[in-house]
Amino acid sequence: MKPIDIEAMTIANVSRHIRSKKLSPVELTNWFLQRIKRLNPVLNAYVTLTEERACADAKAAEKEISRGRYRGPLHGIPVSIKDNLVTKGIRTTAGSKVLAEWVPDHDATVVERLKKAGAIILGKTNMHEWASGGTTINPYYGTTCNPWDLKRVPGGSSGGSAAAVAASLCLASIGTDNAGSVRNPASFCGTVGLKATHGRVSRFGDVPGTGGFSSDHFGILTKSIRDCTTVLKNIAGYDARDPLSSEYPVPNFSRDIGNTLKGLKFGILKGYFEDKVSGEVKTAIDEAARLLHSLGMKKVEFSISHMDLIPAVQTVTSRVENIVHLMPHMKSRPNDFSRPLLKRLIGSLMIPASSYVTAQRVRRIICEEFEKVFENLDVIVTPTTPITAPTIEECQQGFVEVDGRKIALQPVGISLGTTHTVPFNVTGLPAVSLCCGFSSLGMPIGLQIVGGNFEEGRVFQVAHAYEQAAGWFERRPVM
Amino acid sequence: MEEQVRKLNAEYGFNLSEDEIKEIVRQAEETERFLRPLNEMDLVDVMPILKVEKKVKR
Repeated sequence: MKPIDIEAMTIANVSRHIRSKKLSPVELTNWFLQRIKRLNPVLNAYVTLTEERACADAKAAEKEISRGRYRGPLHGIPVSIKDNLVTKGIRTTAGSKVLAEWVPDHDATVVERLKKAGAIILGKTNMHEWASGGTTINPYYGTTCNPWDLKRVPGGSSGGSAAAVAASLCLASIGTDNAGSVRNPASFCGTVGLKATHGRVSRFGDVPGTGGFSSDHFGILTKSIRDCTTVLKNIAGYDARDPLSSEYPVPNFSRDIGNTLKGLKFGILKGYFEDKVSGEVKTAIDEAARLLHSLGMKKVEFSISHMDLIPAVQTVTSRVENIVHLMPHMKSRPNDFSRPLLKRLIGSLMIPASSYVTAQRVRRIICEEFEKVFENLDVIVTPTTPITAPTIEECQQGFVEVDGRKIALQPVGISLGTTHTVPFNVTGLPAVSLCCGFSSLGMPIGLQIVGGNFEEGRVFQVAHAYEQAAGWFERRPVM
Repeated sequence: MEEQVRKLNAEYGFNLSEDEIKEIVRQAEETERFLRPLNEMDLVDVMPILKVEKKVKR
């Protein structure tokens, strides 16, 4: 057998070989399972491995393909699922002790659609307890380590998913993103991380209490933008079981990939948490902006009047919507919550109902302000995170040093790692993170590209052009 | 606010220590201050947003 290079594999290049029967889904699945067995004890990206089921599904895929029934580019592709998406017959913990033994009797719509497309589910990935933070330091299932530096966190809350993709322990993973929980770990681990427009992807089958209704999204982590379009195409679309899902038609998301960027405009947001962005991240974003300009795009600077209210809107919305679901568990099993989370949740019960309604009214104003901005712009470009991945120790202490200044990782309101992702949870706008360079310590830096509502195609067009021109995606962590 | 935390503690059986009660109260007060600017907005005729509308750029 020819030596294989799992690290260089993407859905795009593997699916071609599966389709032409040059690559067997059984072989492919076994390679990934072997790699997981070798590296997961170090990374702790997976909390549950579904080896038997994956092998059976791979065999079934192989049989179908050999009979000429190829379903499409996800047929036979090994993927993973964050542990707060319900999976039929597979333990789903949401990173909590409360659900440590819970085995759901149905699949989330996204999981159903992935199975229908022929994807092979390798297992469930680790996450922050109840998706309530951005480190994936989990008191019950252990800490997931960043494949680029094992002393550092992968981000979160979908930290296991990002680590699994970055370390080539699967070809794609599904996460959830309520404040940046897909894009933050994508940034810290150097992968692609997308949350589409709110409503584009059904959220039926999320574990209640891990994101709320208004600002939570299911998201996708992959190695390349093209792979991300493939996964989105397969999971997007209206779902009657999710009242917030959109009936807006699902287009061919890769239609504009490869088209020139000439004449398009990208916006740079001024005056929002600029002082928190590290020098190295700022330099990388400036460089990315120069590259986009060289590809034919015009740069436009803009500001949003009520930008400063976004952290407060998100805090109220998310904390109130989550506490509604967690209260029964807090009452019946208070000792099965970590103490810091339990105290924070009790604090959430102190937020007045009127603040929640006020936040939803302010949210409308902010959404309208962004809508107006997009009348004159094609995409917005920001850092995904103001810093690169902090160490596990820094996260435990609660502070990180940025250019000689000590900054709190979790101040009142939103955490430092989500300052630039939260605005697009509040507005529901589609946003992707992709690698735009590395720090002096060799840690990935994330670039966030945001589009207008339901304009994922435009986001992919710009992101793919940048990705191919910059070439950072070719760099892999040494495992 | 402290009274409210004590009531929840008794009702839910959280077994909070005195220090924990104080910490929760302090954090809740900080959050209240943090949220105050929301209440200073003029929101006459502004409906709460419930779902992202199907608007795209023309």
